[in-house]
Amino acid sequence: MTLARTGLTRYTVGLPLLLAVLLALSAADFRQPQNLVNFGGQVAALLIASLGQMCVTLVAGIDLSVGSVMSLASCLLVSQADPVLAVAMALAMGTLVGAVNGLGVAVAGVHPLVMTLSTATFLQGLCHAVLPIPGGQVPPSLVAAATGQVAGVPLPFVWCAVAIAALGALTTRTRFGLHLFAAGSHPRSAHLNGVRVRAVTVSAYVLCGVMAATAGVFLAARVATGDPNLGASFPLESVAAVALGGVQLTGGIGSVAGVVAGTLSLGLLTNGLNVFGVSPFLRGVLTGALLLAAVSVQRRRHVGL
Amino acid sequence: MTHVPMVTPERVVLNNVSKSFGPTAALRGVTLTGRAGSIHAVTGENGAGKSTLMKLLAGVHAPDDGEIRLRGQPVRLSTPAHARRAGVSTVFQELTVLPNLTVAENLNLGREPGRLGALDRGASRRRAEAVLGRTGVALDPDRLCGDLSVGEQQLLEIAKGLAADADVFIFDEPTAPLNRTEVDQLEALLVHLKAEGKLVFYISHRLEEIFRFCDTVTVLKDGRLVGTEPIGALTPDRLVTLMVGRELEALFPARPEEAPGEVRLDVRELVATAGAPPVSIALRRGEIVGIAGLEGQGQRALVRALAGAERPVGGAVRVNGDDGTARTMDTRHGTVGAVRQGVALIPEDRKAEGLCLDLPIQDNIWLGPLRGLALWRRARRDAGVIRQLRERLQLRSRPVDAVGSLSGGNQQKVMFGRWLAAGVRVLLVEQPTRGVDVGAKAEIYTLLRQFTAEGGVVLAVSGDLPELIGLCDRILVLRGGAVVADVPGAEATEEGLLALALRDPSGVSA
Repeated sequence: MTLARTGLTRYTVGLPLLLAVLLALSAADFRQPQNLVNFGGQVAALLIASLGQMCVTLVAGIDLSVGSVMSLASCLLVSQADPVLAVAMALAMGTLVGAVNGLGVAVAGVHPLVMTLSTATFLQGLCHAVLPIPGGQVPPSLVAAATGQVAGVPLPFVWCAVAIAALGALTTRTRFGLHLFAAGSHPRSAHLNGVRVRAVTVSAYVLCGVMAATAGVFLAARVATGDPNLGASFPLESVAAVALGGVQLTGGIGSVAGVVAGTLSLGLLTNGLNVFGVSPFLRGVLTGALLLAAVSVQRRRHVGL
Repeated sequence: MTHVPMVTPERVVLNNVSKSFGPTAALRGVTLTGRAGSIHAVTGENGAGKSTLMKLLAGVHAPDDGEIRLRGQPVRLSTPAHARRAGVSTVFQELTVLPNLTVAENLNLGREPGRLGALDRGASRRRAEAVLGRTGVALDPDRLCGDLSVGEQQLLEIAKGLAADADVFIFDEPTAPLNRTEVDQLEALLVHLKAEGKLVFYISHRLEEIFRFCDTVTVLKDGRLVGTEPIGALTPDRLVTLMVGRELEALFPARPEEAPGEVRLDVRELVATAGAPPVSIALRRGEIVGIAGLEGQGQRALVRALAGAERPVGGAVRVNGDDGTARTMDTRHGTVGAVRQGVALIPEDRKAEGLCLDLPIQDNIWLGPLRGLALWRRARRDAGVIRQLRERLQLRSRPVDAVGSLSGGNQQKVMFGRWLAAGVRVLLVEQPTRGVDVGAKAEIYTLLRQFTAEGGVVLAVSGDLPELIGLCDRILVLRGGAVVADVPGAEATEEGLLALALRDPSGVSA
């Protein structure tokens, strides 16, 4: 894998390291094992959603419906007593939403912003129809799967590792992964070379929908209850994490490693500001400034277009 | 050369195919037979339908009517991937190399080795090395293609086409960005394919190459078949006549009898880029001055500095108006400042740097007069001016047609029309007829000559030496950024200019 296609720069990788070192040195609370476990739980959902967002970004798209998919997944989760059926329903819903988004973008030619904003609005309405106010019980076995430990390792870390490994292998070791990069950099050229650009694009959105549903299941299980606004902050946070991770929103450049770094940066910032007791409003100001600064220093230099 | 009758089997038959794009008929009932072991030229003016015809075979477009037969079997080729599986490999005119993929990844794109969707990088690399070795293209398989030059990308494109396991090859004007040695290399590869019994379709309007490589020529005009002839039955003149559909009068207009007038553009000690030698030239009213030189000898930088597109390091440019006023051009004001002084650029890449392809002809032309108009002024279009220009430029399309739908020659005329409408007196033209067919070339030369006859000045950069020799009153030769010779057009020869462009580069400061 050539470096230039990954979008990784020393800033991308350095930022989370710098933040982690600064926090570890300055805040004793941050170094507590319990805080690290909490931190893992906090970033896991964002990481999973952002990895999905990355797939769409690689084909020069954007998915603003990830938040609504997460919320709807949590609403579906509390509507079922059977955990297997509940998860299956949530994942099927994610697949369906992804397919609709993908077909709208790749076949009907709707701009990704408009397409996914429409589905996001639609689904958000559906969430409130199903579950007007937060409530309900997530099946206990799912709660255990999201908060428990295996051999002393907190399960959120395990889920993160699985997601990273799966998406990492997909993007760097499969034909589909290579075609994501090809379709994202120049759809017409890719098409002329025999890449099935439409199919690849639809698949990217489906993948994003499934990842968002997974993130929703995980987050709902962590809080053990359903919430129609569970994912409200995720569309923008996932795009921010992807951008911080050096993934180019114009397509064709990015990497799982970058998304991990971007998610960690965002999570560390939130966690650190919490530790220092900074007002949540000011947190938004800082996050916005950081995002702009980080994206400015890592614009694509190498690869044309 | 004696003509041997064809006995090889029919490999491709396009039978009575038609294709329309909206209201425009691109192909009307064309029939073409390609035989094994043949290099078959498909030629015609731009817009004649030769690329469209080949795109039917390449799976890019489906014919509206008619039949395609491969090795005797009727086929439907619905996608490029499908056509490639059917044994048709295409090198498209547009570069399809992806910048974020490596050479090996680009070579194997769409048919990556590996099982169950997994990539086998080792196999991909080995396959790429084998192909590059066979085609004599010296590129590192692990290099990122965004780092390749245009020429290297074209070679990669050709290697990619040859790498396919195909028995029909289509080359759509592959030689445009190639130098002489690279063209020789390509010729060797094509001859090799022919010897292996493959069928090669070679789309080009370069007569020299058609007569060098090809054994059969099919000529199209306005989407119709003019004829298919063995090369031995044709002469270059006869072929041009078939392409144009009429005997071509002299390609270049006559040079004016009278001496050029007073100095219109006075360039003194202009240093276009840091480290380049200063250039002083004077262009006189009524002159067409050419700039020759090898690729990358500062032609582009010089012209762009004069046009205000790039800011020069030093020097002065004075523009003398019709009324005898002399003004120094302030290069800080960019192209807008230059146009105000009556100096404008027709760029090499007119699609990216010149025209708004989605806008109609009239709006593209009207952008010229709009320059320098204050933002709050009403931008009223003058239909009379557009009408006059359309007549002068011999544009057959309607003023409301999108510029993107026009042929290269007509697009170039629209660029020209924009600056005529703006009242420009000095035109800087990069590659005046790149991507322009034979018939339109002559029209553009005439337009340029007409422009100078009315007191304008043209400075033309071109890599096409016969064009410079035929068109220009004098030709400046650039080497290492310096003007090393000033040759009257009537005395210039290709060999002479080339010798001047090449001569002892050690004399130029490194």
